[in-house]
Amino acid sequence: MKPSPVLDTSERRITLAGLLPGLPRVLVVAAAAGLVLGAVLGARRGDDFRYFFHSYLTSYCFYLGISLGALFFVAALHATRAGWGVSVRRLGEIFAAGIGVLAVLFLPILLPMLVPVLRGRSSLYAWAGPEGIGEGGALLDLRFKAAYLTVPFFALRALGYFAVWWLLARFFLKHSTDQDATGDPGLTIRMERWSGPALVTLGVTGTLAAFDWLMSLDAGWHSTIFGLYFYSGAVVAAFAALILAAMGLQAAGRLTTAITAEHYHDLGKLLFSAVVFWGYMAFSQLLLIWYANIPEETQWYRRRLSGPWGWVALAVLLGNLLIPFFGLLSREVKRRKPLLAFWAAWLLVFHWIDLWWLVMPDLGSGDLMADPGSGGLPPGLIDACLWVGVGCAYLAGVCYAAAGRALVPLRDPRLEEAMTFENT
Amino acid sequence: MTETKPTTDDAGPPPPLAGLLAEFAGPEALVAAAEKVRDAGYRRWDAHSPYPVHGIERAMGIRPTLLPWLVLGAGVAGAAVALLLQWWTNAVDYPVISSAKPLFSLPANIPIAFELIVLFSAFAAFGGALVLSRLPQFWHPVFSAERFRRATTDAFFLSIEATDPQFDLAGTGQLLASLGATAVEACHEPAAGRKVPRALYVALAVAALLAVLPPLWIARARATTSEKPRIHPIQDMDFQPRYQSQAASPLFADGRAMRPNVAGAIAVGQLDADDHFYRGQLGGKWATTFPIPVTREAVERGRQRFNVYCAPCHGLAAEGDGMIARRAAERITGEQPGFATWVAPRSLHTPAVVEQPVGQVFNTITNGLNTMPAYAAQIPVEDRWKIVLYERALQRSQKARLEDVPEAYRSQLK
Repeated sequence: MKPSPVLDTSERRITLAGLLPGLPRVLVVAAAAGLVLGAVLGARRGDDFRYFFHSYLTSYCFYLGISLGALFFVAALHATRAGWGVSVRRLGEIFAAGIGVLAVLFLPILLPMLVPVLRGRSSLYAWAGPEGIGEGGALLDLRFKAAYLTVPFFALRALGYFAVWWLLARFFLKHSTDQDATGDPGLTIRMERWSGPALVTLGVTGTLAAFDWLMSLDAGWHSTIFGLYFYSGAVVAAFAALILAAMGLQAAGRLTTAITAEHYHDLGKLLFSAVVFWGYMAFSQLLLIWYANIPEETQWYRRRLSGPWGWVALAVLLGNLLIPFFGLLSREVKRRKPLLAFWAAWLLVFHWIDLWWLVMPDLGSGDLMADPGSGGLPPGLIDACLWVGVGCAYLAGVCYAAAGRALVPLRDPRLEEAMTFENT
Repeated sequence: MTETKPTTDDAGPPPPLAGLLAEFAGPEALVAAAEKVRDAGYRRWDAHSPYPVHGIERAMGIRPTLLPWLVLGAGVAGAAVALLLQWWTNAVDYPVISSAKPLFSLPANIPIAFELIVLFSAFAAFGGALVLSRLPQFWHPVFSAERFRRATTDAFFLSIEATDPQFDLAGTGQLLASLGATAVEACHEPAAGRKVPRALYVALAVAALLAVLPPLWIARARATTSEKPRIHPIQDMDFQPRYQSQAASPLFADGRAMRPNVAGAIAVGQLDADDHFYRGQLGGKWATTFPIPVTREAVERGRQRFNVYCAPCHGLAAEGDGMIARRAAERITGEQPGFATWVAPRSLHTPAVVEQPVGQVFNTITNGLNTMPAYAAQIPVEDRWKIVLYERALQRSQKARLEDVPEAYRSQLK
């Protein structure tokens, strides 16, 4: 039996203090540079910013997924009264708190739809244009969609989602940091009591947000499981990001006693299960549509499985499921930092490709894959700019949430259990 | 500290020694003792605690289990079995096309493969854990010790079996005592020997017999005949609720079970929007041009179709003298009854036909005229146009001028 480890609570060990002092400023500058450069390059394509906005939505959903997945993780830890996860819970709370910046970053998607001059010229959503939901309005579900997919209602819903997410993220972060000061175990009970409703709310809002922002790119298509498809990928990304963040902080001398191989082992297990769950969702969606073979459903897959997009689909399947399944299967992989870091980074990359494959085929005219370098630009340059731009903005928000806070719940009643925890 | 209690009366010799059991004060002492016993080189020994003690595997020197590899192998085998089974049954042994899907298609097979991966893995994990733990085990040396009953409540034990090559009663006992054991006890073989209880064999035999009965009963039922109707456990595939044709139904306002096509509904691929191609009309008038490319192949095809469908009445040269027309003409001169309504097929070289636009000729083939039946059902649209094309060629041939003949052949005609 090992003696109970003692948490080193000196400021340099448990906060971001002294770590790259100029980091927030660098992040803000990089974010602005990435977004501006992306917009300039997007304008050069001369496609009414269509590529720019689709790529922006891809990267936006990537970071939104990390934030929502982290919020899910925090709520799930409370709902299950998990002892082991206390060491890494604060990181999840901080990642979730980045939702504030993401709400601001949603404005470029929303505002053009609201500006009267631009009405009918949304570069993303055809239904917001003058033609509305389009042909086939006689079909029942399209009539419903026509009522659902209106610009004011869309904006109202987005406002609602962000309000709910911000409140939840704020609730968990605030109660948890309050406990650092007071040590009141009643706060833990309060968070546990609200974690169940929080999970349900996250499930509903996450599903509807995925419907609104990703599925409505093609308003003629629908899949009820699509929300879970998005959310399961988001949880994969969140665990991968948490693992990398924890390793980065430990490399910088933070949380060295709080997080051990046991925690990486469990995070790795959760990452693995999220990978499998994503595969389950992705296949469930494909199987039903493939089997029923209804044109209005299959057209969505037809666009994504034929031609060059078919190769991207193959990469999504291999990179998000088959290869990491065997890569993460072994216990040793989850306990060795370099190996786990490799798979976490791998899954982040392929999760982004998954979102790219969801969004980009709906770019429509001038098929992207047939003409990847349109406007004399190397393919992927706009995507890279926006990935960096949105990412740095989000990370700046995360750093802001982390500033002045301990990176581990100092006086959580289960902290000692978490630090002595062992996988048998 | 070694206390060897006699487990039997003085009446006979005690049963042979089975091992030594040492009790320790707590988990820390147990782990420390296990490390020493491991270092002393013992092989057949074990530690017993009421709950999992962290670090005991390392202290005992237990190597990582083989079980994950067994489970992985079983999972892969499950996937292979599922795919082979579905491929063989669906694509080879009894191929039935269902929902226009390929006979062997991966998406449809993945659910079964998934289930068998889970099933095989679960069996391998369960069975493998039993086998690797050498279970079920009916007897263990520690069972003879009264104090061992507390191993599942509050006591920590370490047992070394007498079959271990290093085991010797005095030396091993001394080692255990020196490790801080609160008590060391010798365990003896059971007086009745290590026999499996007889009742178990009986129970297994009965279970095996009972398991054989249903297949035997099924085999008998399959091999014999019976007056009684067969047992029909799942009804709904054979006796589905359905309406006969022309039956009444209270469900619909018009009371008919057979539903007409929805007004304005058109099946996929049957829109036939092209007036020129499908109806021979252009802007409400008969088309004078062909909607198909006029090629030599098209004329050849038209000739072939004309000779099949048109020539029996109209004649190979379209002069209205086909086999049917000639036979009818013979019969009518004999004044047999029943031929009074006979209308002789037309020569297609009469001015009335020659001057018709091609669209009208196409329409006549499609819908018929007077006693000529409609051929829309027999001849595809494109073939009808090719027949019109050939008909035009025939008409042209009857009024050919010298200029129509290629120059090289003109001398032959003079």
